[in-house]
Amino acid sequence: MLLVGDNPFHNISHLSQDRARARGNATKQPECAADLVMLSLENGANGFMFSVSDTTLSILREIREREAIEHLSLYAIVPYAYEYVRVATQVGGVTGLIAKVAKEITMSRSAGTIAMGLGAVIRSNPLSLMKTYLSYEISRVKSSAGKKANLISLMLHEVVTDMALALDLDWLFRSYIDFTLRRGLTPGFNTGNFTYFVDKFKTWNLDLDKIAIAAPFNKIGFQMIPSKIACEKTLDSLLQPIVIAISILAAGYLKPTEAIGYIAALPNIKGVAIGVSRESHARETFRLFHKELNG
Amino acid sequence: MGLLHASILNVLPNVQLAAMCEKSSVTRRLWKKVFREIQIVDNLEKLSDLDLDAVYVTTPIPSHFFIAKTLYTRHLTHNLFVEKTLASNYDEAKELCGLTRRFGGANMVGYLRRFTVTFRKAKDLLSEDYAGDATGFTGYAYSSDFYGMNRGSKTLVSRGGVLRDLGCHVIDLAIWFFGDLKVDSANVESVADGCSGDVWHFAVRKPGGLKGDFKASWCMNGYRMPEIALQISCSKGIIEVSDDVVKLQLNNGQLSTWHRHDLNDTSFFWLGGPEYFREDDYFIKSVRENLHAEPDFDMASKVDRLIDEVQFKVDKISD
Repeated sequence: MLLVGDNPFHNISHLSQDRARARGNATKQPECAADLVMLSLENGANGFMFSVSDTTLSILREIREREAIEHLSLYAIVPYAYEYVRVATQVGGVTGLIAKVAKEITMSRSAGTIAMGLGAVIRSNPLSLMKTYLSYEISRVKSSAGKKANLISLMLHEVVTDMALALDLDWLFRSYIDFTLRRGLTPGFNTGNFTYFVDKFKTWNLDLDKIAIAAPFNKIGFQMIPSKIACEKTLDSLLQPIVIAISILAAGYLKPTEAIGYIAALPNIKGVAIGVSRESHARETFRLFHKELNG
Repeated sequence: MGLLHASILNVLPNVQLAAMCEKSSVTRRLWKKVFREIQIVDNLEKLSDLDLDAVYVTTPIPSHFFIAKTLYTRHLTHNLFVEKTLASNYDEAKELCGLTRRFGGANMVGYLRRFTVTFRKAKDLLSEDYAGDATGFTGYAYSSDFYGMNRGSKTLVSRGGVLRDLGCHVIDLAIWFFGDLKVDSANVESVADGCSGDVWHFAVRKPGGLKGDFKASWCMNGYRMPEIALQISCSKGIIEVSDDVVKLQLNNGQLSTWHRHDLNDTSFFWLGGPEYFREDDYFIKSVRENLHAEPDFDMASKVDRLIDEVQFKVDKISD
């Protein structure tokens, strides 16, 4: 599985913000971003991993209009934490944020979601609130990507995954897994604490084989917590390839030719996600990874 | 911030998250169902039976003084971590410093950048004399938090204004690097394209000659994440440091660059970035081992003093 990552489309660079600013806003334009996704597809990519935001939903609409959406496996990450934190900052905290999201859900005109949400608020039921929110995000993706879309996995953003891990909220993980499986989706988790995550799932007797994990893996061990060796050991202990490697270029610190050897040698990797911001990147990077990982 | 610290504390070995205090009844009702083994209370007094080893204050800045004072005077804890800034003004900060002397314990203010690998590297470069003596600096604290928003957001006030909310970080770093600073001049410029806030600009000096310039704004375009940066002119060269990278350009032309990747930027647990874990781990170690934590209230109150000086200079111009 070779996934196009969406960081450049949100103008994110984990190497430096200077770099993102220098890139400008071109990749944030849906047409331009869709061009890059299409070019990546032509050169070996077969999926798109994205945070669900207005920007990425516009990109999905653009790809759908070009009649290419069915060629992409979609991995949707929710919530788009940055946007929610920004809104909370602007509207004055969590209460304001909840009011805004509630308004958006109401505007979505999905009767089932609204009814579920209303009941959840009245009962202050966190699980119902979570399900309401997830249903809303799934409906946003499906209405933008269309009926032919191949939504494979709904992935929980790393801030939520890692907070829930730290706070031992095993019931939340169980409920999330159950909910996504019932919706015909692979339960996905984006985490910055791969080893801790796998250890906790084993302690809680949660089935790792049913899920997908997106976690950093790269030659220099950047963001591999607590260490490169520990992450490699955990990866090796898995029974099935369930991991989507992210940050494989260590946020642009490594060239694709420097990164590929390490990634290709890792066990239990189901796929990799790579962000590209230029046509030449899309062409060269995906061609290289397609050849090395599938060849 | 409260949930972030709570999560990290719960991961630390031999630390048990005991309680959360929350004013909003809606949030409290929800938290009770989420955090099933933790006490959720609506009032500080209800923490009194818990024999707490330490408390984190992560509320909006205007409430820090009242909460910290209550925690000390009601003997709810003597080990206290307060998110930046320590208080809403220097008078409040001084009173809290007095309480630490009276009651003892570990006290610390959450100036996170001191735990960021790039700023630590810059501190080392300065202390170990790689660049020679500092002669001047410029620093900024920018974000796009309110970029493109109309004027008059209530949030701006509840967050204590841009200087307390964001500018405090670069001020704290400068004080950490260079020691006490005095404000020479200050002004506020309006942002041309319309925003809820403005750009604060102020100049400082240190007895002995070092001069510095600061800018702070949360209305800048292109600062998706808040960014703090300093450029320091030294006798042997220039140090540039931001959240992402450190550069040392020596007068002989030699350039050294360190990204986070080069600076062992790792931790036991990752939430929001490794510096958050380092900060909490350090404070808890100070509590456990009865060590002095930095920046303590005394040190952090210098930021409150400098911000008061800036505001005084600006008010004087407005009058």
